[in-house]
Amino acid sequence: MSDHDHAGSPADPAAAGIQPEAGPSRRSILWGAAGAGAAGLAAAAMARTAPALAAATAPAARTRLPDAPANAAPAGEPVVVHLRDVRSGEMDVFAGTSRTRLRDPELAARLARAAR
Amino acid sequence: MSSHREAPETSKDPVADSTDVYAFVSPDSPKTVTLIANYIPLQGPAGGPNFYEFGDDVLYEIHIDNSGDGRADISYQFRFETHLADPGSFLYNTGPIESLDSANWNSRQVYSVSRLENGTVSELGAGLACPPCNIGPLSTPHYASLAKAAVHELRGGIHVFAGQRAEGFYVDLGSIFDLATLRPFENLHAQYGLNVFHGPAAGVNATAALNVHSIAIQVPISQLTRHGAGSESSPASVIGVWTTASRQSVRLWDTDNGETLSSGPYRQVSRLGNPLVNEVLIPLGKKDLWNSLPPSDDKQFASYVTNPELAGLLPALYPGVFPNLAALDASHAARADLEAILLTGIPSGIVPGFQNYTGPVLADMLRLNTAIRPTKKPNSLGIIGGDLAGYPNGRRVFDDVVTIELRAIAGATYPLVHKSYVPDAAAKAITDGLTPASVPSGYLSRFPYLGVPYSGFDTPS
Repeated sequence: MSDHDHAGSPADPAAAGIQPEAGPSRRSILWGAAGAGAAGLAAAAMARTAPALAAATAPAARTRLPDAPANAAPAGEPVVVHLRDVRSGEMDVFAGTSRTRLRDPELAARLARAAR
Repeated sequence: MSSHREAPETSKDPVADSTDVYAFVSPDSPKTVTLIANYIPLQGPAGGPNFYEFGDDVLYEIHIDNSGDGRADISYQFRFETHLADPGSFLYNTGPIESLDSANWNSRQVYSVSRLENGTVSELGAGLACPPCNIGPLSTPHYASLAKAAVHELRGGIHVFAGQRAEGFYVDLGSIFDLATLRPFENLHAQYGLNVFHGPAAGVNATAALNVHSIAIQVPISQLTRHGAGSESSPASVIGVWTTASRQSVRLWDTDNGETLSSGPYRQVSRLGNPLVNEVLIPLGKKDLWNSLPPSDDKQFASYVTNPELAGLLPALYPGVFPNLAALDASHAARADLEAILLTGIPSGIVPGFQNYTGPVLADMLRLNTAIRPTKKPNSLGIIGGDLAGYPNGRRVFDDVVTIELRAIAGATYPLVHKSYVPDAAAKAITDGLTPASVPSGYLSRFPYLGVPYSGFDTPS
C-alpha cells in the first residue's frame, strides 16, 4: 500500500484537551487516546503547531499520508507519535489508518525532554 | 517449505505468515476459479486452550493481476473479529460444539469479505462464521459437517470459507533442511565425510499431522479475467495470483489494559505467489524486504531466480550426480527456464498447447490459464508430468511442487529454452520421496478442497 498526500485540517486545541507542558506522563506523550479527557501531549501539540505551520512553513512541513479515507482516530483509538529525529524535529503521527509527517523542532525538543 | 517460517520477521508472526497459495479451475465447477491462501503454519492439532485463530489485527488479501503489470487489478480482502461469549472462562468451549451458533462455543471468529477494484471497495459479505478448530470427539463431534456449514455462498456465485484445514502441502522438511539431504538419494550425498547414510530411504512427510488456516474463495472466471472467458491461447485468459498480509504500522503494548493497540496505515509484512521462491531462492538478508514489496518490484530479485544458489549446491552436495548441471552453473548462463516458470509465465511455443505468459514484467505470481479445463486424471507433477492443468499453470492442492521445483532447478526444464542441453539423469528423478498419498487426511473433491483438519484428541503430538 502506498502513501498518498492528503490535506488534513488541524484539530481544535480545546477539544483536543491540551495537557500542561510540564506535567505529561511518558505514556500520555507516546499514546494519547483521542477520546474526551484522554488526549495526550502528542495530539495536543499537533493542534497547537498546526496553525503556525500552515501560516509560516513550507507545505512539506506537514503531510498527512492516509491509506484509507478515514483521517483521524475514532474516539478511544490511540494516537501514536514516532519522533524520528530530535534535531530536525521530524516525526510521524499515527492515528486511525493514517500517518502524518511533521517537522517541528520545538515540539520534538519538548517530547525528548519529557521522555528523559 | 513452501513458505512456512520462510523469512526472519514472518517466522516470529505466525498469524501473518502466508504458507501456500493455490489457484486452479475448480474441478467440480469449471466456470469458476478457486483461490486459497494459507496462514498460521505448523499447527499442532492439540494446541489449546487458545486454539489457532486468524489475526484480528491483520488484513489478509488475495490479489489478481489480469493486466500483466505485477500489480493488483482485483483484491479480495478478509478481516476477522474474535468474540468471547464468556471472558470469565478459560475454556475454548464449555460443551460440544454441534453448530456454528452453539452456545457452548466460547471463542469464535467471524469475518468480512470485500472486493477492491479500481479503487472501489465492495463488501461481499460480513459476519461470516469461521468453523472452530478440530479439538476432539467431545468438543467438535461431526466436525466435517460442522466445517461444511462454514462454506458461505455470496452474491455473484461466490463461495468462501475461512478456517482450519489439514495441511495439504507435503514435504520432507527434516531431510531437506539437513543440508539438502533427499532421503531417496541420501547415500549419494557427500555427507561431509560423516558417512551416516548407507542406502536410499523413504521420504517422511513432516507436515503429515499438522493443520493450517485457509482462506478460500471460489469466483466465476468471468469476474477475474479482463474480458470474461477466453481461449487457451489468449493472454486475456491468464491471471496472476498472490496473497499478502498487512499490519498497521504501529503496534503498542498497552500495559494499563493488557492488550495490543494498532495504529497507522496498513503495511505489507508477508507475500506469497509461487511456492518456495522466498523460501529457497531469496537470500536471508532480503527475505523481509521481498515480503514487503509487490510482485511488480521483483526485477531486483531476478538474479536469485535465474542463478539460484541451490543449483550450485546440488553438484557439490551430490558429487558426480549432476555433471551437466555443474557445467551449466559454471557457464553462469541465466536460467531463462526458471525466469519463465516463476517470473513471466511460459510463452506460447514452448510447451505444446500451453501458455501462461503475462508479459515481460518480472513478477512472482502464480499464473493460471483459466481457459485450460481441469484434468480428469490429474498428474501431481503438473506440466512436467504432461498435465497442463497443474503447476506451474496455477497450483492445485495436491500438486507436488517440491519435486517439480527441485527438478526444474536441477536442470530438467532448461531444454525448454536451450534445446541442446541434456539434463542429468538425476534431474528427472530427483524428489523428496513424497506424493499426495503422503497426506493422511487426503483432499476433498469439493470446495474448499483441503482435507478435514486433524483433531487434537486423535493427533495429540
